[in-house]
Amino acid sequence: MDAITNAIDVQNLTVGYGSTVLLEKLNFSVTQGEIFVILGGSGCGKSSLLKNLFGLYEPIAGDVLIEGRNITTALGSERQKIMTSFGVMYQQGALFGSMNLLDNVTLFMEEYTDLTRGQMNLLARCKLDLVGLLPYESYMPSEISGGMQKRAAIARAMALDPKILFLDEPSAGLDPITSADLDSTILDLSKNLGFTFVIVSHELASIYAIADNVIMLDKGAKGIIAEGDPKALRDTSKDPRVHQFFNRIMSKEVA
Amino acid sequence: MSLSDPNFSPEIAPVAIWSQTDGSDALVSLSGQVNVYSLAGVWTDIRQKQTTWLEQGGGKNQALVFDASKVSSLDGSAFAFLIDVKESQQKAGGQFVIRGLDSKYEPLLHEFDPISNLFPVPVSKPKLSFVVSVGIASQNLLDDARGLITFAGHLAADLVWSILHIKQVRWGDFVNAAVEAGVAALPIVGLVAFLIGVILSFQAAIGMQQFGAVSFVGPLAALGIVREMGPLITAILLAGRSSAAFAAEIGTMTVNSEVDALVTGGLSPIRFLVVPRVLAGILVMPILTLYADIVSILASMFTMLAYGIPFINFYNGMLAAVDLEDICSGLIKATLFGVVVSAMGCLRGMQTGTGAAAVGISATRAVVSSIVMIVLVDGMFAFISYKTGF
Repeated sequence: MDAITNAIDVQNLTVGYGSTVLLEKLNFSVTQGEIFVILGGSGCGKSSLLKNLFGLYEPIAGDVLIEGRNITTALGSERQKIMTSFGVMYQQGALFGSMNLLDNVTLFMEEYTDLTRGQMNLLARCKLDLVGLLPYESYMPSEISGGMQKRAAIARAMALDPKILFLDEPSAGLDPITSADLDSTILDLSKNLGFTFVIVSHELASIYAIADNVIMLDKGAKGIIAEGDPKALRDTSKDPRVHQFFNRIMSKEVA
Repeated sequence: MSLSDPNFSPEIAPVAIWSQTDGSDALVSLSGQVNVYSLAGVWTDIRQKQTTWLEQGGGKNQALVFDASKVSSLDGSAFAFLIDVKESQQKAGGQFVIRGLDSKYEPLLHEFDPISNLFPVPVSKPKLSFVVSVGIASQNLLDDARGLITFAGHLAADLVWSILHIKQVRWGDFVNAAVEAGVAALPIVGLVAFLIGVILSFQAAIGMQQFGAVSFVGPLAALGIVREMGPLITAILLAGRSSAAFAAEIGTMTVNSEVDALVTGGLSPIRFLVVPRVLAGILVMPILTLYADIVSILASMFTMLAYGIPFINFYNGMLAAVDLEDICSGLIKATLFGVVVSAMGCLRGMQTGTGAAAVGISATRAVVSSIVMIVLVDGMFAFISYKTGF
């Protein structure tokens, strides 16, 4: 594969449901190996945008290219090929409730590889260890806390070592220590294994710690109002909405 | 390699070559692109060779050297592979050396230390003795009975409350439940009742023909339908449709902590969720049963026409056999079935555990318990009828 291909290219993407348009004509790229964070207030369409990026929802208009391949038009085996090149962690974890954590992680390996049960279990234990859940491998999802479910979901998303990981609010609901641990895991994976991360997040501390690049969405503008390095945006942005977000200013004070 | 692997490209498949060096140390040179899709063969192969080597007395104070200098890329699965080999080597008292590994992978190699944690000793569950298992099962049965009785008490109290506070009942929920359980059930109840009417008459006629008593089939079928078959098939259909629906609906609310939210808001979940549904069951069951009775008797009438019994004979025979008391008996029984079926659905819904699977279990339990309760109530009713002649 061409080394300069972007991990994700978004071209004139319009996101919404039916006749409701949330975001219009978005254009941005995520380069290989970077940690890319999507920001914005509640209800501005961050999660919807993410679901369009990984092909769960069909966009109203525009294209999403994953490593140069168009996911919006791909069908059949071509689509499956694209789908296995990334992993997704959903906001609520979305673990399979009838399986324990280890089986949750090995499920996709069973389908896509010829590894033996023992090899899959060892590999899954490595993934669970990365997110600090090794002692809980035989627990059912309903027996662990919400934050642990999220971490288990990240382990599952990494099961097949995809090049791209989509994380929907990974640190929401985690305690500060776990959240910091998770940040360092993300940094490690990105630096050492070359994972590309696309993360939807609100957690400013976490964003400053890990993000290479951010885009900020706005409900009113129906699009991107800022992009670039988060610290630079915090310190230099003239846009009052961006300034307000990065400095945690109450809406009353701006109005 | 995996045929189902969409990312597989033959030119970069990983290759591992096992060779013994002079001092009977072993060398594995790994090359290519190592990823989870293509690793399986290499992994199994090298582990087998290692096991053979260790069994032949290799390993002790000897080293297994991994040469990774020709590797073009590694993913997480490759580390699991290396860890697996390293663990076996260390267990046998040998050494494990990796050389030529790209320095960027170094931190990941030590990410999982100590690696023995990744190889848990399997714990066998202590087997329960027969006596203990029986004890646990009995305890569960008793707990279930206690739950049922408690629920019945709460429900009875709240039904009385709903009569006293008629304006505070959630009539919107009641109407929705009644439409779902009643109006929407008309086609299936009609179809099943019709077929039961036909089958019942046909089967009875075959037997009765031998005694020249075909003319009695009509009254017999009509009586059977009104007193027994009508209420029973309607109740079983309601159990399959609505009891399961109530259990799934309330079960999902339980899983999402919505029932907890009612409790912490000071509202009784029974008053709020169960009462409207049970009232709906009480309303729709007699109506559906009456409808099933009529459809079934009409079906029986048409069937008997095929045996040469005219409508008017059927009608007269039926009037002589079935009186208002029989119809009322059937409808009262149907009303009780309505209470039992909707209440069991709600109870099982409220007993739902956590997770998506729990909702499915609740729906199944709702249908099973409803049908068991229907048969129990039916038996009690038969006994009362026998004693009182009602």
